Amino acid sequence: MQSTFKRGVHPAANKGLSDKKNIVFMPPPSVVYISTAQHIGKAAKPIVAKGDRVIEGQKIAEADGFISAPVFSSVTGTVKEIKTMNTPLAKAEHIIIERDETSEETFRLKPLGEKQRTRENILERIKECGIVGMGGAGFPTHVKLQPKDKVDTFIINAAECEPYITCDYRILLEYTEPFLRGALYMAKAVGLDKVYIGIEDNKTDAANFVSNVAASKGYNVEVKILKSKYPQGAEKQLIYAMTGRKVPTGALPSAVGAVVDNVHTALSVCLAVEDGQPLYKRIMTVSGGGITEPKNFWAAGGTQYGEILSFCGGAKEGGDEPVKFISGGPMMGIAVSDEEIASTKTTSCLLLLTEDEAFTGKPQPCINCGKCASACPMRLMPMYIDSFILNGDVGGAVKYGAKNCIECGCCAFSCPAKRPLVQSIRLAKKKAREAGL
Amino acid sequence: MKDKLFVSASPHITQNNGGVRRIMIDVLVSLCPVIIAATFFFGYAVLINIAVAVAACIGFELLYDAGINHKFKKGCLKNASIKDGSAAVTGVILALNFPTFVKVEAWDFNFYDPRIHTPIVSDMIFSFDTLLLLILASLFAVVVVKMLFGGIGKNFVNPAAAGRVFVFIMVGLAAVQTVGLGLDASTGATWLEGKVTPNGSTLLNMLIGNTGSAAVGETCAIAILIGFVYLVIRKVIDFKLPLVIVGSAFVFAVLFDGLIKQHLPIGEILPNACAHVLSGGLLFGAVYMSTDYATSPNTDWGRAIYGVGTALIAMLIRVFGGYPEGMSFAILIMNIVTPLIDRYVYPRPFGYVKVKKEKKKKQDKEGAKV
Repeated sequence: MQSTFKRGVHPAANKGLSDKKNIVFMPPPSVVYISTAQHIGKAAKPIVAKGDRVIEGQKIAEADGFISAPVFSSVTGTVKEIKTMNTPLAKAEHIIIERDETSEETFRLKPLGEKQRTRENILERIKECGIVGMGGAGFPTHVKLQPKDKVDTFIINAAECEPYITCDYRILLEYTEPFLRGALYMAKAVGLDKVYIGIEDNKTDAANFVSNVAASKGYNVEVKILKSKYPQGAEKQLIYAMTGRKVPTGALPSAVGAVVDNVHTALSVCLAVEDGQPLYKRIMTVSGGGITEPKNFWAAGGTQYGEILSFCGGAKEGGDEPVKFISGGPMMGIAVSDEEIASTKTTSCLLLLTEDEAFTGKPQPCINCGKCASACPMRLMPMYIDSFILNGDVGGAVKYGAKNCIECGCCAFSCPAKRPLVQSIRLAKKKAREAGL
Repeated sequence: MKDKLFVSASPHITQNNGGVRRIMIDVLVSLCPVIIAATFFFGYAVLINIAVAVAACIGFELLYDAGINHKFKKGCLKNASIKDGSAAVTGVILALNFPTFVKVEAWDFNFYDPRIHTPIVSDMIFSFDTLLLLILASLFAVVVVKMLFGGIGKNFVNPAAAGRVFVFIMVGLAAVQTVGLGLDASTGATWLEGKVTPNGSTLLNMLIGNTGSAAVGETCAIAILIGFVYLVIRKVIDFKLPLVIVGSAFVFAVLFDGLIKQHLPIGEILPNACAHVLSGGLLFGAVYMSTDYATSPNTDWGRAIYGVGTALIAMLIRVFGGYPEGMSFAILIMNIVTPLIDRYVYPRPFGYVKVKKEKKKKQDKEGAKV
């Protein structure tokens, strides 16, 4: 039997819109808006000024502290301005670069030769190239690969459990070898020589392809097929599904000897090690019922959402007009209304959802049916957290587990009364932090 | 496109499960076999009772919601809370919790067969008393138990059980007699009042519903089972809770009635316990009333405590108490205990590490010092 985690939900995968689309290249826009806060931790410090000439791949902002990552220019051109702009959730300093269309110059670090690929060198290279977790959170990879505890399992998260998103799936099929080599470099960086890959059983073709390629190349890779369920790609749930180990509450995965990283991160590591290419562009998926032409493509970092949408033919008109514009997946992404927001290292997906797909109704009173509690992969009681925090009782909300929420959205997804439970739990987490609980 | 976008917190998609109304419709569908069986054994009056109770429940909720919550403002009908269908469910369950005909000694507004000089319940043609009591019970169930406490999901006990108990205590249980119009055996008192040692044919009659019962809905065990299976398949209720209630009721019947009270010989203990399970409101209450979302715990262990407690109280009342039937009381009492159960029995998060007792004591001491 295929292993999986306990509880969770089964949203319609809807990957058919874009899973047959080959990865193409989106031409870089004439102006890019590169955020200095593309990762968790401190924002990077700009090291260029207005009027400077920069080339593609050049470092334009450097890491500020250990948990931070440098940022690179995605085009060759001139720095027009440095100003504060909106990101999906907040505001951050953006370096605005106007592209010089005549120049094809690109900057690369010196590739690491076979013999130079030692643990220290790989870690150093990952740090220099500004690689962060590209699944969505953006945790600096060089920090993640140096855990305090002893690690015995390195897992690549290829579950891609969010509906619609297909960029990791396409990477598995089209960039199989670079991806596998990147994963092995990362394993080496944590001191291991074996890679485990977790793939859901709705992508068995990719799983078989990857394990065949790995076998023919003699890579030490084990592909494990997991039963499709959301949120399989959540770190703690994936570790449980792959190894049966439970990450203690409040601890990092390395506490049970595991490190999990994303598919695209592994590809970026390979490009950084073998080609010396810093992380300034990525593969993303644009999908949903409201977009004219769903696609998977390489996009330069700092491309405004509006440009990305027009590359995909723009929003549909008439009956299938989109009602929701989401940066990220439908379960954990952020609804935005501003097309001027620019893509970052972690923008894996843009979705335009139609009235049929997205929920836009009003919440009804809770009937205490317990469907949220039976869907919660973290075994919390969202209905009580919701009612406690809405009545101002932070202690009660914490008692029923508010602080352990991974915000996967299973509760609100399965709620018959359509209550915004995740929003309530976020409020509870914030209030609990403020109250020091 | 920009001015039409909708912004909200994640998740942006929800399960297309039809919402609260779909759940209520599922409950109504699952009640259909029970209604059909009740009508078959007790006649058309069942349908009249159901129609009146549903109309009363919907009417009272609509009046309360439109009048008190919305002050009869514009749109009060459009946003009415009855649309979720829970009032209709309360109405149907309430009517199924009633006998076909009730005679209230104090006023007696019933019509009897004119050829009979000493009117008794079994010769009743039409009963205004029943309808009056149903309307009173609906008022209590919907307005007092549900709406005053905040509407759907906030009722502190099961509205139908509360309505039934309220009315039956008010008019006195003795006045209630059920009369079957179907087959021979269905005329007469319930097994619980007589408690003759059951044999195979009484048990079979109980199973198919051809027996006297104090409430029309509880007569046919097979119909209730069909409804139970439907609810479980539609994932409306958790299949474990009714099984826990019925299972522990069986055990308590063996213990209390079979061994302690009647000292039955071994051969009769099991049929006696079976009769306990099959008669009265035990099955109906276990499937339709104790599983009410708002008033049952939300964890498996909590439900286990709740289920065993319900069965224990019901059997105590049946065997040692003053009433032949105790299921409604048992459900009401355990409904009130539910918040307490949910307070102490709740799941620990995934990956929860138990703090060792000594360590915890230390921590508490340190906390106290601070």
